[in-house]
Amino acid sequence: MSDDDDEYELPATVAASEAEIISMARALTAPQALDVWGLLAGSRAMPAKIGPTCAELVGDALDQLWPALWRRDGARPGTSIRAGKVVRGRGWERNTIAPLEFSPFTLALLRWLVEMPLATPGAVDKLSTRPMTIGDQVVAYLALDVATETPAQFTIARSSQVAHAPLAWLGFAHLLPGDPPEDPKAWDALVTGTGAVVVDALQQDLAKRWRTVELGKRALSDPDELVKLGRGQDLTLTRFMDACTRAGRRDLAGFVLDAMLPLLARDVAPFPNDLDRTKPLSVRMAARNAAGALLRGMAKWCEWDRAHRGVRFLDDDYEASQLLLMRFEKSARHGADILVPAWLAQLASLAPPSGSGSATIEVSKEPP
Amino acid sequence: MSRAIQVRVSESVVRTVHVEDGVQSPLELLPVLAPERMAELLAKELEAQGFKRDGKLAKRKDPDGVEITVDLEAATVSVKLGADSRLSEQVELETRAAVEGQAQAETRLRDAAIDELEQRLAAKTEALRRGVTDKLEKKLADLRGELDASIGRATVAALTERAEQLGKIEEIASDEAGNVTIKVKL
Repeated sequence: MSDDDDEYELPATVAASEAEIISMARALTAPQALDVWGLLAGSRAMPAKIGPTCAELVGDALDQLWPALWRRDGARPGTSIRAGKVVRGRGWERNTIAPLEFSPFTLALLRWLVEMPLATPGAVDKLSTRPMTIGDQVVAYLALDVATETPAQFTIARSSQVAHAPLAWLGFAHLLPGDPPEDPKAWDALVTGTGAVVVDALQQDLAKRWRTVELGKRALSDPDELVKLGRGQDLTLTRFMDACTRAGRRDLAGFVLDAMLPLLARDVAPFPNDLDRTKPLSVRMAARNAAGALLRGMAKWCEWDRAHRGVRFLDDDYEASQLLLMRFEKSARHGADILVPAWLAQLASLAPPSGSGSATIEVSKEPP
Repeated sequence: MSRAIQVRVSESVVRTVHVEDGVQSPLELLPVLAPERMAELLAKELEAQGFKRDGKLAKRKDPDGVEITVDLEAATVSVKLGADSRLSEQVELETRAAVEGQAQAETRLRDAAIDELEQRLAAKTEALRRGVTDKLEKKLADLRGELDASIGRATVAALTERAEQLGKIEEIASDEAGNVTIKVKL
């Protein structure tokens, strides 16, 4: 045998079930490169454990999460607030990046995604492990994301414990069952340390999601569905924005502004004009009020803006306040101060005017 | 050899049902004066519209049964309409069964009759509720206009009072669009 033969490295060999777990992990960061639907819809018996080669390759795939987050607009030069000061640059320049940590939830979720036939919700066992770390939350978020526009997304939202991840609520409040986590510490983890960097990188992604849901409200006809959706959104935004204030990171709630900006610019209010008229008026009224969840988030920004205007040059958080004033300026130019309370008042009105705000809007367009 | 018999069951029910629908909405009252004074001025306007003052509430029950309650402190209005109805239904079902299975057939038939009665009552109750909802919905547009007018007059009264606090009122002019101009000599 020659020396060359000795140096030849055999390709890593894993079991077929392990190969699918690795593919699922890779699909989280590069869904376009793999048959995600095939992985989600199919089912496969899973061995109790995975081998070291599989563990290593899953680890390699998860190492790609940060680059995947930067690709979601985190790479664009921007500004963040750190310790009351404004930091400029790309995502990795203005933040201290630490490796994402994962609990057993991540592997359990990947196994569950491969094991269960997610296209048939009735045949799916619930996952019992809960997300514990920011890394887990990112995986939960991306799992919901890769299943977008497939029936599997609903099954993942309902049966995989992702509803315990505040980050999943931030992106998918319209899908998740029950209420978002109540513990303020769970939300604080999203606005401090690594969690804050993740949310910072997802700003545009979150804005697009919220805007899409906002536009969808206008076509909803089931008031009960709208009430549930509005409650989830209201609690998510309230708890997240309170956490932002506690951490001095109101810039992380900037996606609310980005989501609303095109709607304000085109005067598109989230009025649900097609609510089922056979339902009681009390239920329809509750649904109309619930439709204003994002508007209430925007109203909170208006309130913040008034406070930021009062911060003087000599005050500690003057620099951060100036950044936040600039952030709100575009919304103010489009009449946020007037339109938001007026729309909220119309939603709560005794006899709402019908047919208002009937313009259409491109969901995929960037905010102006 | 068993004999086949015809089993017939008749069930009837008479039930009094109450259905109700209602909404609550905030009132847009400008804070021209202190909240307590604004509430007083609104209460005065509402009393002129037939409302009865009951502490922090102003209430009115219209001839069509619509109950309107204005919470002056919280600045909200609640509107509700209820209806009572005595519903009666009767169901008669029959089937053929072997004589030995008469008791079981009768039990099954009775259960089916009760289910049928419940479904019919639920449908009638729902129809009654929809009637109440329709009636209430038609009323709301007028009521909104009436309340807006009362709030507008209360606001003008508040502005006048505020102007008096600032100086001597020289002229109060109003146009058809509802705009009011108060000239004050300081």
